Amino acid sequence: MALLEVKNLKTTFATEDGLVTAVNGLSYAIDAGTTLGIVGESGSGKSVTALSIMRLIQRPGRIESGEIFFDGQNLLTKSESEMRHIRGNDIAMIFQDPMTSLNPVLTVGEQISEAIQLHLGYNRRDALEKTIDMLKLVHIPSPDKRVKDYPHQFSGGMRQRVMIAMSLSCEPKVLIADEPTTALDVTIQAQILELMNEMQSRTGAAIILITHDLGVVAEVCENVLVMYGGNMVEYGTAQQIFDQPKMPYTQGLLSSLPRLDAEGHERLVPIKGQPPNLLRLPPGCAFAPRCAYRMPICDDPVPLYDFRDGHVARCFLYDERSASQRPIAVETAPRVSLSDVAATPQAMAEKQP
Amino acid sequence: MSVLQEAPVTEPTTDLVAVQDLYKYFPIHAGLLSRHIGDVRAVDGVDFSIAAGETLGLVGESGSGKTTVGRLLLRLLPATSGAAYFEGQNILKMTRAQVRRLRKDIQIIFQDPYASLNPRMTVGDIIGEPLKIHGIARGRAGDDKTQDLLRMVGLQPYHANRYPHEFSGGQRQRIGIARALAVDPKFIVCDEPVSALDVSIQAQVINLLEDLQKQLGLTYLFIAHDLSVVRHISTRVAVMYVGKLMEMADRDALYENPLHPYTQALLSAIPIPDPHVERRRKRIILTGDIPSPVNPPSGCRFHTRCPVAFDRCVTEVPPFAEYAPGHFAACHWVEEHGGKAPDLINGPAVVA
Repeated sequence: MALLEVKNLKTTFATEDGLVTAVNGLSYAIDAGTTLGIVGESGSGKSVTALSIMRLIQRPGRIESGEIFFDGQNLLTKSESEMRHIRGNDIAMIFQDPMTSLNPVLTVGEQISEAIQLHLGYNRRDALEKTIDMLKLVHIPSPDKRVKDYPHQFSGGMRQRVMIAMSLSCEPKVLIADEPTTALDVTIQAQILELMNEMQSRTGAAIILITHDLGVVAEVCENVLVMYGGNMVEYGTAQQIFDQPKMPYTQGLLSSLPRLDAEGHERLVPIKGQPPNLLRLPPGCAFAPRCAYRMPICDDPVPLYDFRDGHVARCFLYDERSASQRPIAVETAPRVSLSDVAATPQAMAEKQP
Repeated sequence: MSVLQEAPVTEPTTDLVAVQDLYKYFPIHAGLLSRHIGDVRAVDGVDFSIAAGETLGLVGESGSGKTTVGRLLLRLLPATSGAAYFEGQNILKMTRAQVRRLRKDIQIIFQDPYASLNPRMTVGDIIGEPLKIHGIARGRAGDDKTQDLLRMVGLQPYHANRYPHEFSGGQRQRIGIARALAVDPKFIVCDEPVSALDVSIQAQVINLLEDLQKQLGLTYLFIAHDLSVVRHISTRVAVMYVGKLMEMADRDALYENPLHPYTQALLSAIPIPDPHVERRRKRIILTGDIPSPVNPPSGCRFHTRCPVAFDRCVTEVPPFAEYAPGHFAACHWVEEHGGKAPDLINGPAVVA
């Protein structure tokens, strides 16, 4: 049985403009000791998924339906006080911005030892000792002195280490990291990723790594879930996703990336158009308006196609019903298109007197 | 500092932009009498030049001073000392009227497409304003030119009547580009133009910048922290660390044969979106944090994190010397080993 299983999760936000469906029927599972990467662009629903697991969705947001099983128990039927026990203890979360997730008026030591006292029932002195051990573990120099410092006295990378120390202090079984290195410089990012890897091999925690950086995913994740428009569009091992991406969106993402190890200068192949408006998701495939392989059938609800080796994709290209269909051209005038550079300088020069 | 006075007003050079010994210190004041207690040494002696039609990529981590360099070139900030020439004229010594004319030739594209467009102006007014200020086109002619510019950056003429909030991040960045192009500039400082954008949109904007460069013969200073993007778009690349240049070379030389240990570590820290490559790769993981530009390390700024630093690196600032044609680096180790790079992955031996 998987350690954590999300089934048909639907989370919505009631906004002034209408109901935004941020997560729309998402299902996936993760085993202990593995790392799952959730990739997607802004608005794809990847962070809302994480907050839903933690039951941290606040009004006007609402988990409308679905089940989230942790160790066989449905988290969505737990009371708030039961959840408070699970958060931090069993499932911990690291946020993108370490400055806003630490309390600026408490010392770093007070914040970490509070969690240890609360969840593990340690007394003050033991909790402080454990705090110092945790800071040492995340390679903070002279931890016995730094416990008395306030968050602003730490650099960005150090603050993220403090957050990691805090979230791991109770040895959670699941660690959800939401863009943990996005606010950090690359040399610091390398340190933090290494640290998370080290922690995982020590505690055997399952890690859900939410990121938009496909390089980071290739580096640390065994499995990858690609999200678009609030739902999973592809899932597989890192090798499957990077070697044989099935869904045109995943293919598009990979070909639009400039690579550090690129040979020569190849022009990037961007995905046309704009990300979907979550207020007005198309009835069928959310990616269809930008897809080069769009067929009439793509306006129907898309089933997940299973490749029988753990690799799944939500795309009609792999459905027998599409065999008789021909791709229809992508809307010739999407709201923005590069091919639409009608005004060349020559044309402009001719217009001017 | 008096260097500003000593620098000549004009400089005979074939480069479009030439920066010499550029400094920018931001003073720190504290206490009741606001005593001057120190400086943020954002740019601490930087030299480079940019030839017409090329793209110089300027990379660095936070606090390296790369953004400040861009702002000094537009005179958005006054420099502390040094010289920066545009077409032979020293930008830093120009009068206000001259600076105004300069900004017809030099434009900037900002990082944040949300903060850099006035929310109360229509897109047409935003793009049309520089046309009016510089007396390029007014009225009907101004509207025509605005519509041409919108088409040129891949938007539609009817977008002129809309407000910035009606557009997505990528579209806003296109509006920012159209505004920069309105005055037909020769040189554009692109300050992290794609780092706020989603991956699929990033590629659209990069391609647009490349197309415009080809069509209009533009010269770019492309400031970014993403080395993959910089590799893609640049002709030459300069690497900055805590206010100083560490290395500068042609794009391929820098990425394939980096001399400076910092450049090597920086390149090795970038994850490559390919699990096969990633699993084979050995990584140089630097210890420690980026030093503060208020109190930078003595000697070589990188010595506190450098795996091959030795005593000279602590006391002596390494010169920014040329080790191969056009390939500059500031490193004592490289100098003492006859222009060879240290092999940081298999121990500090010389790369064969």
